[in-house]
Amino acid sequence: MASSSTSSSGLTFKLHPLVIVNISDHYTRVKSQMQQPSNNSNSNSISISNSNSNDRVYGCVIGVQRGRTVEIFNSFELLYDESTHSLDRTFLEKKQELYKKVFPHFYILGWYSTGTDAHESDMLIHKALMDINESPVYVLLNPSINHAQKDLPVTIYESELHVIDGNPQLIFVRSSYTIETVEAERISVDHVAHLKPSDGGSAATQLAAHLTGIHSAIKMLNSRIRVLHHYLLAMQKGDIPCENALLRQVSSLLRRLPAIESEKFQDDFLMEYNDTLLITYLAMFTNCSSTMNELVDKFNTAYDRHSRRGGRTAFM
Amino acid sequence: MDIEQKQADLIDQFVKQASSLHGSALAPLVADATSHPSLFAFSEILSVPSVLQLGGTENSVYLDVLRLFAHGTWSDYKSNAGRLPQLVPEQVLKLKQLTVLTLAETNKVLPYDQLMQELDVMNVRELEDFLINECMYAGIVRGKLDQLRRCFEVQFAAGRDLRPGQLGSMIQTLSNWLATSDNLLISIQEKIKWADSMSELDKKHRKEVEDRVEDVKKSISLKKLQTVSRPTLTSEGMRRSTLNLVE
Repeated sequence: MASSSTSSSGLTFKLHPLVIVNISDHYTRVKSQMQQPSNNSNSNSISISNSNSNDRVYGCVIGVQRGRTVEIFNSFELLYDESTHSLDRTFLEKKQELYKKVFPHFYILGWYSTGTDAHESDMLIHKALMDINESPVYVLLNPSINHAQKDLPVTIYESELHVIDGNPQLIFVRSSYTIETVEAERISVDHVAHLKPSDGGSAATQLAAHLTGIHSAIKMLNSRIRVLHHYLLAMQKGDIPCENALLRQVSSLLRRLPAIESEKFQDDFLMEYNDTLLITYLAMFTNCSSTMNELVDKFNTAYDRHSRRGGRTAFM
Repeated sequence: MDIEQKQADLIDQFVKQASSLHGSALAPLVADATSHPSLFAFSEILSVPSVLQLGGTENSVYLDVLRLFAHGTWSDYKSNAGRLPQLVPEQVLKLKQLTVLTLAETNKVLPYDQLMQELDVMNVRELEDFLINECMYAGIVRGKLDQLRRCFEVQFAAGRDLRPGQLGSMIQTLSNWLATSDNLLISIQEKIKWADSMSELDKKHRKEVEDRVEDVKKSISLKKLQTVSRPTLTSEGMRRSTLNLVE
């Protein structure tokens, strides 16, 4: 009974990227662990059916609620008991105690799961959590990869009491959220986004990746200058009325070229260039001489006539 | 940029005033516009029809003043001082500021001597004060003052009103810029391809060497099986096999 109406509670939700990474990591781990046994034991139909039907993972989200702002900082995993349709309560309480010791301000704000849409059975879990937090939130991550989709596949649901067919029932309503980052989170997300290919640790792939970055940046600049060029051409032909303010700005922009030309820059640049070349040359030298040394050692060991017998070998 | 934003309202205001006035009533307007501390653009006012009508009449001096402020410099004023009306100190200041902008058009590095000559300033201290207080704090130029080499490096200068021929040269500059960046893009792509092909060659070479090592190892083990089952190899056999290894 998940409706797609928007929430009217007026709460603003702030989600930290750590939570999203945690949920996706949990899902990936469970999925990859379930793949392994089904590969090894082909006759084990139970594990295969497990990986087909129930690949949802569950857990709890914790954070701080200040007034009308709900900020979700962290999350941890929970086991879902199929038979009773409930989450492992004792484990949850134990985890809550442990987290309270480290983060005294964090409360259990709700729970998370993966899937494409909210299900009816989720309401049972939701109600079960309502004795810890009177209005828990439900964070849903959609693990299917959709390349056309631009925004995050994470939705936050709240529960609202609506009157349907005469009986008041709890239904899920969507809420909007914003992503909030602490400085440390921003640095790590930035780092992940700029990952160079790690197995191609060779210089060539790193060089190619770097050059590709520069290439795309220059391409963007190029397209924008092209637009300016067209605009000025049209203005010259008379298609567009002259707009002096813009022309003044373009002329001041063009006067900034060439960007750096002074003599001092040339000197510094050439010096640095020469230093780099020199060091590369030196490194090559060292490499070659060490290879030569090894070759000579092998040669000597192979062709050494004198100390083959008698056990005395000339080793360095 | 912010200068243009600051000027936009002023320009609108003056244009409205100018279109409602005629003839000699425009004289105080011109004086106002040219002495206003944050107005550096006059081509909009110049294109108002009632202003253009001033040319040829007895009030054409005001049109000339406006044109001077739009395109000219302080030395232009000095050489034509006879024909133009006397300028009040604010106008003199503004004209000097506009002179700095014009100088910045041609060179990026302006020597102090040239600046002192153009601006009629006697010593370096006054020049630097003028540059710092009037030009940089007004936001029309940004740059670095190099006292050791006695020059002023301009990093950014606001645009002056365009002369009619300047549009063509601007378009030329833009097309040159485009051509250069296109060439740069092509050369970067070539470099990327070169890097990839070099790494391919390197991998192939490595693989070849390893294959040969494998072959030689196999041939040695075959030879080992063939020779007599003695714990040590004969000297000939050892030399032959190690010869292959060293190769």
